[in-house]
Parts: sequence; structure tokens; C-alpha cells
Amino acid sequence: MATTSLNAAEIPTGRRFRLAIVGTGQIGRQSHIPAALASDEVEVTALVDPVVERARQVAREYGIDPVIAPDVTEVLEDIDGAIIATPNHTHGDIAVACLAARKSVLIEKPLAHSYADGLRIVEAARKSGATLEVGYCSRFRNNVLLLKQLLDAGTFGRVRRFVHQAGSAGGWAPMSGYNLDRATAGGGVLVVTGSHFLDRMLYFWGYPDSMEFMDDSEGGPEANCRATFRFSGTGLEGHAIYSKTVFLPSVLVIDTDRGRVVFEDSDESEVVFRPHGESVEQVFRQRNRKRGQEDVFRLQIEDFVRAHCDRRPPLVDGEQGLASMRLVEQLYACRKSMNADWYAGAKPAAIPSALERTTQ
Amino acid sequence: MKVAIVGASGFVGSTLAERLRNRADLEVVPCIHSTGSAGQIARLGISLTPLNLLDRDSVARTVRGCTHVVNCSRGDDEVMLKGLRNLLKACRSARVRRLVHLSSVAVYGDPPSPDSATEDGRAEPDPGSYGWVKLAQDRMVAEAAAAGLPATILCPPNISGVQSGYIEVIVGALLRGELALLEGGRSPCNLVDVRNLAHAIELALVSGPADGRRMLLTDDDPATWHDVVDSLSPLVGNVPISGISRDDLVRLIAAPETPRISLKKSVLHLVSSDVRAALRKDPLWAKVDAALRGGARLLGIRAEDRLRLAVEGPTRVLRGDRAPALNIRLCAQQLRGVVHRCDRARRELGYRPLYTFQQSMAAFRRWYAVFHAWDTPAAPLLKAL
Repeated sequence: MATTSLNAAEIPTGRRFRLAIVGTGQIGRQSHIPAALASDEVEVTALVDPVVERARQVAREYGIDPVIAPDVTEVLEDIDGAIIATPNHTHGDIAVACLAARKSVLIEKPLAHSYADGLRIVEAARKSGATLEVGYCSRFRNNVLLLKQLLDAGTFGRVRRFVHQAGSAGGWAPMSGYNLDRATAGGGVLVVTGSHFLDRMLYFWGYPDSMEFMDDSEGGPEANCRATFRFSGTGLEGHAIYSKTVFLPSVLVIDTDRGRVVFEDSDESEVVFRPHGESVEQVFRQRNRKRGQEDVFRLQIEDFVRAHCDRRPPLVDGEQGLASMRLVEQLYACRKSMNADWYAGAKPAAIPSALERTTQ
Repeated sequence: MKVAIVGASGFVGSTLAERLRNRADLEVVPCIHSTGSAGQIARLGISLTPLNLLDRDSVARTVRGCTHVVNCSRGDDEVMLKGLRNLLKACRSARVRRLVHLSSVAVYGDPPSPDSATEDGRAEPDPGSYGWVKLAQDRMVAEAAAAGLPATILCPPNISGVQSGYIEVIVGALLRGELALLEGGRSPCNLVDVRNLAHAIELALVSGPADGRRMLLTDDDPATWHDVVDSLSPLVGNVPISGISRDDLVRLIAAPETPRISLKKSVLHLVSSDVRAALRKDPLWAKVDAALRGGARLLGIRAEDRLRLAVEGPTRVLRGDRAPALNIRLCAQQLRGVVHRCDRARRELGYRPLYTFQQSMAAFRRWYAVFHAWDTPAAPLLKAL
């Protein structure tokens, strides 16, 4: 079905938004392409990947016939906007090339691999007037919006402390392996796993006034980290713990003067409030629960297209993406090592001389 | 020396790589299979080599030029068997001076044969089990050794120490009340600290007979389950731990009866809601199913309920299921009853464990508290999870 409600001058009535997916690796192939194909508002007109055969394979897999190119500059004539789902350190150049041609961009989180590169993208967007959205897709969950409303309404009382944690032994495995290099990923588990919550934390409580950070990096991207945030205006203190080696149930717990909120990190989770001194718990859920949570990637794409057409800010704009980048860099700047001599005090037995003998 | 560590993203492989990278006399080639599970080694900022053991050419290319190879890899049966075959072939072609292969005491079965205190015990794991695959690997390595490849097989029990996933499971079970102690926890809990194991691998790279025979590798001081629980109490607090008798434990782990083939049950299964839900994905079957359900509704609610009951059967409620469910797999390990001994490794490798059981557990506690933020004001919130 062609979209007729779009009212931007750039998109003729009766034509869908022409979308390029730049990067046909894991996230592009598994999440963005099916979400775009499920939307009535867009048409995937181009697939871009330096490995052209991979893009062709993806096109065959989904039964589509887009323009395929190794570089986004070759398809700018064929698109209204692009989703950039490439390694973090490549976001900047691709986004700036699109924005310079007044093509809107939805960039898979994080905005870039560094604050400076993120700023470059935001400035290019300001200059071009095109839409810039950052792919913090969990913001499109109904339950996240509900929790925000409940917090703003003071439903749970005064928030004193929160903890968020998420961890798994392994997980997301990008084809390019960019996540194994600090320079290309812009960090480690904080960026890969933690940045979704950092974005939501800024959304819920604003920018913290002070912070502490520890991680286990020894030159590479950290596999474990923990952060403490303090918000001086409200006295709120928060903690975040992330791991790429240890399983940690993904959950946000909020302690208030009236009880405790437990919010599991999933599309369908409910907001559970356990008032102090009461044996009952209150469960909050959306009224339209029968429909379940719609695909957040599709909702994100449709928000992006409508922001482009209506010339309004998207749900997560470049400034918000940049605030997350600033927070990440500020955390890394105050980094302390988590590593310690865990066996301190234990004197290892003398190493036999066989090693020394045979390695001469 | 140029040492390839196959499976360098795992617990043992990454610990070994971290130790070896500090040695000036050798070059390490850490080989990883997935970019998603390499966090522990990637944090070191060293160059990593992608390796798919099922890709024979890639294995040959990687091993070429290496003087020593350590195999810590895990995977599905194909990776474990076909992948190892590729690795052994590559090692022979590259004329590596030593292969150290990690086996497991699982080769002695579960529970292990009573004579497996030493390496010569009977190795008769259940067909298809993890131990069965590891035993098949041991035989392949032994054959390669007989054909001229210098190879050592190290055979550890569960691995403890900093970052130990096994000890983390015990911590979780204690917090959730899922661990019951058999006969006061007197049964042995065979462990080896990961640093002790990595140290033994270092030794095996350069010493010992390399005859492809298995070598048990444990901590020096045998620990009991009571010792393990006791050593974790400073971390988890005084959590209540129930006891369990041998008979009750054996009854709990008894394999459920295999359902008999029944034509009636098979027909009922075909019309069950699970099967119909799958069929409804096809538009034709969806229409047929809708028509059938419409027909059933015409019979009235009671008749529809009776029909559903006939198809699905009554809802089963387990009696006496009020206490926290036990982690049967973990509890069952107390029936193993054998203390594996590392005398051969001591004798032939010169192995002396670097750390005692108590030192290992103390290190684990320190690490766990920091990495789970249990040393912060958020600890009560986290522990409540």
C-alpha cells in the first residue's frame, strides 16, 4: 500500500519513502531490513555494503530487488533517507555524505564511536535540515513510555536509588568483529550493552552531576564495567553493571521512599511496584496490552519517516544521541580499573625449573 | 616458541593467553571462533585470529608456523570431532613440537567409575554424553600421538577460581535455595583453579612424555561440598541449606519413564492445540481449524470443554512442590564420590598447584563482589534480585 498521508514536498503523494539500508551485517539483516519490509511507509530501494555479494545475498533472501552498491554515495539519487547499520567508526563519514546531500539518516546506536565524530554528524544535520535519528529502539517500547509517565507523575514516591544490570557470556557477534577493537567500537560492553540504558537514564532523570566508572580493560574493549551516577538536585544515586562474560539478569530496580520498582528489560515486561511494608505488589501495564508490543525497529523506522516528512524532531534526535556519547566519554575519562590482584596474599608455589630449562 | 591457543575466548583459553602474553620468550596466537564471545580476551587489546575448526584450510593456515598448539575449544559434536580431526591433521603437517589437548573427567562417566582416582580407571561415559564426545577426542589425540605427533592430554574436573562460571552457578543455587547437601556435604568436590590449570598447560607445552596419554589435573588438597559451601558463606551470608539423603537424591535424579508408543495418544497429539497452532500458519489449515472450532462451539460450552479435556487431558499439578526446586544437576554431582588424583602430573610434569583450594575460593569471593557490585550501596537491591 502506498503512503498518501505523507505531506513533505520532497516525497510526491502516492510514493513511499525510499530507504537505503547501509550495512547488511547482523543488525541490518536481522532487524532493520525485516522491519522496513513490514512497514507500509517505506520501500527499500537500495542496499549498500562494501561486500556487494553479501548485500546481493540479503536481497535474494528477502526477495527484493533494490539497487546494490558498495558505497552510499552511489545510491543517493535513489533514496530519501538511509539507515546506517555499519561499524561504529564508519557512521560519521557515511552520515555526513548522506546529510550533505540532504538525505535523512537513522543511525544504529551509538551515534558514533566518539563524541567528536558524533558532533560532526549533528552539525551536518543542522546544516542540511535533514532528519537525524539515533537508533535507541528500546525507547519505542510501550512499557518504557509507561515507566516514564509513572515516574514523572510521582506514582512511586521519591526515587532514591536505582540499579540497572545486564550481562551475558557472549552475545551479539558482528560479522566485521569491530566490537573487538576499542578504536572501531568506541568502547566495550558499556557502549555495546550499556548504552541503551544510558539513553533511557537520561530520558528518565536527565544528565547526572557526577559519576564514577570502573572497567576491566587492559587496552582492549572492556568486557565488564560498572558505573555510579549522582544527581545532586534530587539526591538520586544510580548504579549500572554490565558484563560480556557473566550472566546478569537484565533488570532495572528503583528504590523509592515508598517501595521498590522492578522492571525487567524486555518488550513485554510489566512495571511492578512493591510498596514497603505491604504484602501486595502493584502491576502496571498498558491498556492496549492485547495487541502486545509492536516491533520496535518498525516503529522506529516509521517515526523516522514521519519526522522527515513532517519536519519535526524524531523521538531520539541527534542531540540526545550526542548526550549519550558525552556521557560515555565522561565515564571513560574518569575510568578506574576493576582489575585487582584477586589472589593477593596467596603466595604461588615456586614454579619448577622445567619451564626455564626448556625455553632457553 | 609460537603457541596457538585454540578456543582462546573461553575461560581456560583466555586465562592462559593472559599468562603467556607476558612471557618475552614466546609469541601467542589466540584463536577465536565468534566475535560475540571473545569479550574476555578482547579486553587485553591483543591481536586475535578468527578460526573456524570446520574449515580445514583455515586451520592449516593458522597452525602453520606455530611450534606449539593448545586446544581448549568447545562446540557441538561436529566441531569437537571433525574440528579436532582438522586440527590434528594441521598439527602433523606443520610438525608442531607439542599439542596440549584439554579433556575432562567427564570421560569417566557421571557418576565416574570408582577406580577413576587415577588415569587408568574405566572410561565408560553414557553414549552421546559430553564425556562420550570428550573420550572420542582423547582417542583421536592418542592415535595421533601414536602416529608421531607429540601430544599431552590434560584432564581437569570442574574449574574454579576467578571468573569461574561453575562456582557462580553454586553461588546462585545457594542464594535461591536450590542446593541441598548430601550427608552433610561429605562428598568430594573435585576442582582445579583456573590458574593452576593454566600453569599445568604451560608445563605440558615443554615437559612430560607427550605420549598422548591422559593426565588428571586437580588442586592439591581435595575439597568436599561442605568446604565449597563453607568457603562461599562470607559472600552469600548465612543462607539456609537443606540436607538430603542418598535415597532421596537418587530418587530425584532417576530418569523419567520413557513414554510408551500409543496410537490413541498420537492421534490426540495431532489435534492438540500446539499442533493446531502450528498448522494455522498455513491459510488452508487455518480455515479448516476455524471451521472445526466453530462447529465445536455450536455444541455448547460444556460439550466444548469436555472435548478439550478429552484432547488435552487434565491439568497436572505436582504435589508438595512448595519448597524451592532443587538444582538436580548440581545436587547430583555429590554422588560422584571419587577423588581424582593428580599424582601423574606431579610426577611427569613437575606440576605443583600454585594456589590452594582456600586461596582459590578467597580470590573468587573478592572478584565476585567487585564484578557484581556487591561492594556498593546497591548490593541489597542486587542481592534481592
